[in-house]
Amino acid sequence: MTKDLMNTQILDVAIIGGGFAGIGAAIRLKQKGIGDFAIFERGTSIGGTWRDNTYPGAACDIPSRLYSYGFAPNPNWSHTYSGSNEILGYIESMATQFGLHRHFRFGHNITGIVFDEDAGVWDISVEGRADIVRARTVVLASGPLANASLPKIPGIEDYQGHKIHSARWDHDYDFTGKKVAVVGTGASAVQIIPELVDKAASVKVFQRTPGWVLPRINRQTSPLTKELYRRVPAAESLSRAAWFYGHESVALGVVWNTPLTRVVEMVGRAQLRRQVKDPWLRRQLTPEFRAGCKRLLMTDDYYPALQRENCKLVTWPIARISERGIRTAEGIEHQADCIVFATGFEVSKAGTPIPIVGRDGRVLATEWQRGAFAYKSIAVSGYPNLFFTFGPNSGPGHNSALVYMEAQINYLVEAISTVLDRDLRMLDVRRERQDEYNAAIQRRLDSTTWNSGCRSWYLTEDGFNATMYPGFATQYVGQLRTVELGDYHVVPVTAERTAPRIVVNS
Amino acid sequence: MANAMDFDDMLQKIKDRQWALADIDWDAPGAETISPELHAKLQPFMADLMWIENVGARGFAAMAKKAPTETLREIYRYFHAEEQKHANAELALMRRWGMLDGDEIPEPNINVKLVIDFLDKYSDDMSLSFLGTVIPMLEVALDGALIKFIMDEIEDPICQEAFKKINSDESRHLAVDFAVMDLLGHAGMRKLLTELVGGWVKPTFLIGVLSYVPLLNKMRDNIVEMGVDEEKLYAAFKRYANVGERSEFARRLPMFQIVKRHSGWVINREHPYHLMADALVKVSAHVPQRWLRQPTWSKELTYEPAA
Repeated sequence: MTKDLMNTQILDVAIIGGGFAGIGAAIRLKQKGIGDFAIFERGTSIGGTWRDNTYPGAACDIPSRLYSYGFAPNPNWSHTYSGSNEILGYIESMATQFGLHRHFRFGHNITGIVFDEDAGVWDISVEGRADIVRARTVVLASGPLANASLPKIPGIEDYQGHKIHSARWDHDYDFTGKKVAVVGTGASAVQIIPELVDKAASVKVFQRTPGWVLPRINRQTSPLTKELYRRVPAAESLSRAAWFYGHESVALGVVWNTPLTRVVEMVGRAQLRRQVKDPWLRRQLTPEFRAGCKRLLMTDDYYPALQRENCKLVTWPIARISERGIRTAEGIEHQADCIVFATGFEVSKAGTPIPIVGRDGRVLATEWQRGAFAYKSIAVSGYPNLFFTFGPNSGPGHNSALVYMEAQINYLVEAISTVLDRDLRMLDVRRERQDEYNAAIQRRLDSTTWNSGCRSWYLTEDGFNATMYPGFATQYVGQLRTVELGDYHVVPVTAERTAPRIVVNS
Repeated sequence: MANAMDFDDMLQKIKDRQWALADIDWDAPGAETISPELHAKLQPFMADLMWIENVGARGFAAMAKKAPTETLREIYRYFHAEEQKHANAELALMRRWGMLDGDEIPEPNINVKLVIDFLDKYSDDMSLSFLGTVIPMLEVALDGALIKFIMDEIEDPICQEAFKKINSDESRHLAVDFAVMDLLGHAGMRKLLTELVGGWVKPTFLIGVLSYVPLLNKMRDNIVEMGVDEEKLYAAFKRYANVGERSEFARRLPMFQIVKRHSGWVINREHPYHLMADALVKVSAHVPQRWLRQPTWSKELTYEPAA
C-alpha cells in the first residue's frame, strides 16, 4: 500500500451488496452502535434478488412470517406467502425505518478486495474508480442468487427472437398472442408458467428433469390477524415460532434421507395423481430422485397450467437453439417469438463472486476452486476480518433462509464489534478449527438427500456439496450464538506479526 | 470392442451428431422414382416401420429410468428422442410420397400395436438386464433389417439422405446396446439368474412373449410379401447372436442365451416353433382393436419439421 493511500479514510465496515443480507447486517450494526459503515451496491436501488426477480408470479415459497427478520417484524403481510413486490416493499421499509439510505453507495461494483496485513485493513477496488476504499472489516453480502445464468446451449446467440431471463424480466414485452418457449422447470419456472399460459397464444415448457411438487396453501391474512399482530407483538412471535418448528420437523424427511422422505414423496405423488390424469404426462412429471435432493417446488397452479389447451410440456433433450426456436432431439424445431430462460443463477460453489486476496497474497478463488469451504460458513482462515453472509454450507433445504441469515448477521456483528472494540489488526479463524468443522459437515452431508445421487445446483461438477447445511436450523443458529475467540487468531493492532503464516494448499 | 466404450465420449458424440427434420429438403425432386407398384407395397411397410421405431423408443424410455449412471440415463433419453425423430422422418417421407391422408397418422399392424401396448403398460417395471437384452434384438432384427431393405430398394435421393442419417444414429444405438449387454454380463451369476427368474415369473411377461413372437413372424411375412429375400432379416438376427457371443460377459447373460436361441428358431423355417408362431400371427389378427389404446405420447408424432 502506498503512503498516500494510508491517509484515505478507513471505514469500520464495508458491506458489499444491498440485498436482504446487506440491509440486515447494516441494521444490526446500527443497533450495536456501529455507524461508520457503507453499503456498496452495484445496482441503482436496494433489494438484491428481490429487486431483480420481478417476473410475473414471483413469490417466496417460505411463509412470510418466517421469511422476514425477527428483529424487524412486519404485522402487515397480506398473504401466507408473499409476492416479490411485497417482499421488496418490506426491504425498503426496513431501510427507511433504520435510516440506511445515507449509507448506500449505489453504482459501486466491487471488482476485488485485498488484505493489507500490516495495517489490518481491506483495500476495496471499485469498477471505474481510481481511488481505493479502505475498511477494517468487510461483510460480503453479495448473495448466492445474484448473477443470472443463461444455460450453455449451442446456438443460443443465433436466436433472433426475444430472450428474457427470469431474473431480468422485460416488463415492456407484451406476451399477448405470442408463441413462448420456457426453458427450465425449477422454482421460478413453476411460478412464471401459469402466468404466461394466461396471456400467451402458446407456451412450450422445456423440461430437463421434473422436480417434486408439493401443495402450497396461500391464504389471505385477515385484517383482524394483522391488527392482533400490530397490537400484540408476542402473538406474531408465537406465529413465527409455530411456522419455524413446523418447518424444522420437515427436515426429518427433507434434509435426511429417511422413511419420512417417502412421506414427502407420497404427498408429491398424491398431488400429481390428483392434478394430472394422463398417464404419460404423469410419467414425464414424476421425479427420479429423492424428495429434497433438489429444491422442492411449492405450487398448486403449475400442473393445471401445463394441461391447458395452449400449453405443452416438451421433455426431449434440447439439441440446439436456432434462429427461430429450439431444436430438440426428436428432430423438430419448436419455433417461438420469445424464449424465457428460467434457468437459475451462477451460484459460487467454487471460486468467489469477486477476487479476494488474503494474508500472504493467498487467493480465495484458488483455494476454493474444487469447492468452497469456511468456518461456520462465515469466516475463512487466512482472510481476517472478512465475513460472509450465505457463505459455504449455509443453505437450508427445509426452513427460511432469513433465519440462517439472521444468525450469521448476529455472529458477524459480534465479531466486528470485537475487532473494533479491542482494536484488532486481525481476527483470523484458525485453520485447524475450520478443517475440523468442514470434515464434520462433509461427513454429515453423506446421509442427506442432497448427496443422495441427483445433480443439482447444490453440488459442484465433482459432486462436492459446498452449499447446504446438513442439520436443523436450530443447530445452525445454535452454533452461531457466540463468537468463541479461542477459534481465532486474535491479533491487536499494536502486536507484531504473531499469528503463524499458513501455507496455501490448493 | 464393446467393453472399452467410454459412455461420456459416446454421449458427447450423440450430442454433436444431432440433426433435425429441417436439415432435409422434403420437397426436393426424386419422389417420382417411386413406381405405383412400389408405392402400394411401400405404404403399409412404411407405416409399420414408423411404428416399430416407437417400439425402440418406448424401450429406451424405460431404460432411461433404469440405467445405473446419469450418463447412460442421458444417452437413453437421447435414444428415445432419436427413435421418435426416425419415426417423424419416416412420416415426412410418407408425406412426400403422398401416402398420408391429410394429417392422419397411419395405423400400424396389429402385432406392432400389441408390442407397443405391452411396452407402454409394463416396460417401466422391467429390469435393465431384461430390457437391455431384448431391446437390442428388436433393434437389430426389425429396425436394422428394415432400414437395410429401404436403403437397398428405394432410389429416391431424399429417402437415401434421411436413412443415411437414421442408419448412423442406429449404429450408435447398437454400439451402446452391446456395450451395455457386456456391462450387464459383469454382474454376478446369482444376480443375473434372480433377475431372469424375476422377469419370467411375472404374468405380464407372458403377454410380452405373446406379442413379441408373432411380431417377428409377421414382419418376416411382410418382407416376403414385398418380394424381398427374408435372408436379410435372418442376417440381422445372426448379427445379434454373433456380436453378443464375441463378448465373454454378454454371453453370461441368461436372457441373451434365451433370445439368441429363440432367434435361431425364428430363422429356421423348418423348426416346429413356427407352427406356434404362425398360429399366433393368425390369432392376433383377431384381437379387437378397441382393446388397445393409443398411448398419448403417439400424438406427438409429426412430419412437420417445425412446430
